[in-house]
Amino acid sequence: MTERIRKMRKFYIEDRAHRAFRRPPLDWEKLLDLPVFMEQSDLEKVTRVFEIMLERELPVIFPEERLPLLRTVVNFPYFIFGQTVRGRKIHENGMLSNICVDYSRLLSCGLDQKLTEIEARLTELARNPGENAGQIEELSAMRRHLAAILGLCERYRRHALEKGNRAVSDVLSRLPGKPPETFQEALCMLRILHYAMWASGAYHNTLGRLDQLLYPYYQKDIAGNRLTKEEALELLEEFFLCCNKDSDLYIGVQQGDNGQSVVLGGRDRNGVSQYNELSELCLQASLELRVIDPKINLRVDSNTPTAVYELGTALTRTGLGFPQYLNDDVNIRALTDWGYALEDACNYSAAACWELIIPGKGMEIPNVGGLSFAGAAQRAIRNHLEECADFESLLTFTKAEIQTEADALCADTAGITILPAPLHSLMMSGCLESGRDVTQGCVYNNYGLHGAGLSTAADMLAGVERFVYQEGRVTKAGLLDALDRNFSGCDRLFHLLRYDGPKMGRDDRANEIGASLLEMFADSLEGKRNDRNGIFRAGTGSAMFYIEFSKNLPATADGRHAGEPIPANYSPGLFARCDGPVSVVTSFARPGLSRVANGGPLTLELHDSMFRNPEAISKTALLVKSFVRLGGHQLQLNAVNRDQMIDAQKHPENHRNLIVRVWGWSGYFIELDKEYQDHIIARCEYTSADA
Amino acid sequence: MTGTVFDIKEFAIYDGPGVRQKVFFKGCPLHCSWCHNPEGLCPAPELWVSTASCMNCGGCQSVCPSGKWDDAHIRAADCTGCGKCIDICPAGIRRICGQRYRPEELADRLLKRSGYYAELGGGVTFSGGEPLLQASFLMALTVLLPGIHKAIETSGYAGSDTFAGVLAHMDYVIMDIKCISDALHRSYTGVSNRRILRNYRLLRESGKPHTVRIPLIGGVSHTVENLTATAELLAGDPTLDWVELLPYQPAAGAKYRQVGREYGQTFDVGKNPAESVEIFEKYRLRCRVL
Repeated sequence: MTERIRKMRKFYIEDRAHRAFRRPPLDWEKLLDLPVFMEQSDLEKVTRVFEIMLERELPVIFPEERLPLLRTVVNFPYFIFGQTVRGRKIHENGMLSNICVDYSRLLSCGLDQKLTEIEARLTELARNPGENAGQIEELSAMRRHLAAILGLCERYRRHALEKGNRAVSDVLSRLPGKPPETFQEALCMLRILHYAMWASGAYHNTLGRLDQLLYPYYQKDIAGNRLTKEEALELLEEFFLCCNKDSDLYIGVQQGDNGQSVVLGGRDRNGVSQYNELSELCLQASLELRVIDPKINLRVDSNTPTAVYELGTALTRTGLGFPQYLNDDVNIRALTDWGYALEDACNYSAAACWELIIPGKGMEIPNVGGLSFAGAAQRAIRNHLEECADFESLLTFTKAEIQTEADALCADTAGITILPAPLHSLMMSGCLESGRDVTQGCVYNNYGLHGAGLSTAADMLAGVERFVYQEGRVTKAGLLDALDRNFSGCDRLFHLLRYDGPKMGRDDRANEIGASLLEMFADSLEGKRNDRNGIFRAGTGSAMFYIEFSKNLPATADGRHAGEPIPANYSPGLFARCDGPVSVVTSFARPGLSRVANGGPLTLELHDSMFRNPEAISKTALLVKSFVRLGGHQLQLNAVNRDQMIDAQKHPENHRNLIVRVWGWSGYFIELDKEYQDHIIARCEYTSADA
Repeated sequence: MTGTVFDIKEFAIYDGPGVRQKVFFKGCPLHCSWCHNPEGLCPAPELWVSTASCMNCGGCQSVCPSGKWDDAHIRAADCTGCGKCIDICPAGIRRICGQRYRPEELADRLLKRSGYYAELGGGVTFSGGEPLLQASFLMALTVLLPGIHKAIETSGYAGSDTFAGVLAHMDYVIMDIKCISDALHRSYTGVSNRRILRNYRLLRESGKPHTVRIPLIGGVSHTVENLTATAELLAGDPTLDWVELLPYQPAAGAKYRQVGREYGQTFDVGKNPAESVEIFEKYRLRCRVL
């Protein structure tokens, strides 16, 4: 890390000194004549608010900064849009979120050229204004968005000049009107666009395949001797710091859940690896900086060299919870099976957490809802155990419960509307040409459903099969009675189910049942269409559902009390005492995962003793490699130290920098609500076998 | 014939080449004051209680055949390890530590995933406790694991015949040389080091690749004199792979209460272990701190 970056890191991350430049919250009610404003169209509202957001910004330039822009306006008026969508069917808060734009659509031509194209289209459309009113409104909104960005950047340019920061003023004399020519300019342009996307109120603004996007600029600069690898690293590090400047203003379930994900590596349609020098520099930047944004995903496959996993594992060691591994062998197959063109499938990126999405083409809602495997199995047992003469019948009822829940979830997506996002639309396929906002649909319009509590369900069913149907140690009535009583007075039965039952991640039969539950989920969505003519994709993620679902879940037959948590994502149950990481990896890397690849990784918590020296890191890297080679779809590892987390709950002041992975994102431990903290502490942790 | 094992760990990365399964044999002839695996000391299965999550519900005491419970309400003073208290415990914190296996049972368990470990350049490491204390079981077991890379982690404390017999079955050896002074060795481990040093010579002559480990215990082994004397002993050992220094673990006493023992003595964490590496490097020995 250079001295310049070290200073910036201290300024932004440790001291948070830039926050002193923030302005008092804008009084939106005063700024807008609300009753009149609320009568405007959605597009007008979105556009006007965006203009004000940028107009009200006061440029702030720091002396050694190269990639400018700081949020000084702290409050986006989400309440206005909350009122706007009242009574409509929406997803989350109704704003666009969680897609991956194709930044090259603006990087390649610059905003001036894009404005010219918009003008030309508007001139054409003006010939028939009545018929084209919708398109004209959209294109005009796009034009106003670009003009607002140009306006802000011009004010920034003048301010940089006043402050004597020629590096910034020079770049802004060309950008963002002209397209970037150099690596530094490309990063600057990306910063401007990403900043503007956040200011538009859209959220979970992912960064996509950063190494692929920037590589041509990098290559050209290196070839022309305008840039060294070290300088490129420094610029990347500055860009990464930029992602952390304003992130506390971004919305999410918890602080840190902001969707600023980056995807590195991957392969093209001919199977050729796209992992390049920039992929490596990004990993290195994250390793050196140790900040929670951007969140790094690494696309790998069975041909990925061990050295890549070693660098990834060195990053895991920092405790940030990155990188998350995405296995191209499974994921590309999944996408093509779901009907994506091979070329697009090979270009997949990750949404905020881990859902597969296509940059520039996917207007997908990959987290449209969540199915509770645990709930389905619990209902099957509670309502049908008595009538089931054999275990197969119980599985059939479970399948029916899954189907019922899936049907309801899918039906519930009908009529979802999303507020328009003209800036994002400019970076999505076909929107400019058709004059249609991306939120109306794009090339791919599929929805994804999470599947939470899989291992809880598998453990319940495997326990019932063994103890009720095979061994006869537990009677049906006895089990149901114990569940009704939340195991009160049933200590032995509780112990038996909780600790001595077959568990996913440890016992083959529980693994098989888990695999059948995934099949049932995939089957339940087969042939269904959403109202945008997209499909429904099944996944193994939980998102925040692992907390939500567990709260209302009664006592379950895996020996879980009512209200006790269920595991996050695709992971063993919290009471499963698995033998170690190899059992878990070989249990969870199974064939057939491509049917449930919407997103959701196996999460492994590795004690920090697994990373003591370079040789240990190389060996731990092989654990990751084995998961990929065995056909696992997504893997996310954490270097944890439970004692440290427990101490951090008692003495948060001593652990301000402790970073942990929550579900699809990392955050500062002490900033999480206690239920999220407790859940991480409860997850099984694997040590280096020192005994 | 059966052997007693108190744990089988997956993905061991510090105990021999590649990635390995690690089998912990129960029972040890040494009683090192700094031992951090007290459950390995007693050869017989015994009750283990993870005390930290005890909810003090009293269920265990209510089913215990003994009337003599200790003050901490964890186990009977005369606990026989009958195990009646295990399946009543709602926190699941009780288990019998130490499982008896016939050689073929343990071999089956190890063979189940041996292919996985072989692909990662590893195999099985036998540790403890002291595996040499169950030498005939160990040898019977190794015969059932043909083609698998086998390593032993040992104190080296055994008769020479036993040591040589087991050595012949191993591909790699990790052996402790805790302390060169016999007086100190006796006083802190309970046994003389003469057998150990003799077996080290056997190991050196065998030509088997090996690592020597030294626990760094302030005032006992973590002294310039002891480390220099050890380096002199090891110098020129042709098949010595590494000298590994194990820093004293201040938390070593953590597990004692869980098997109903008292942890006697704590040691000074002492000086920076990295400095000790230089002593060995002077003797041209590859040395690292674990």
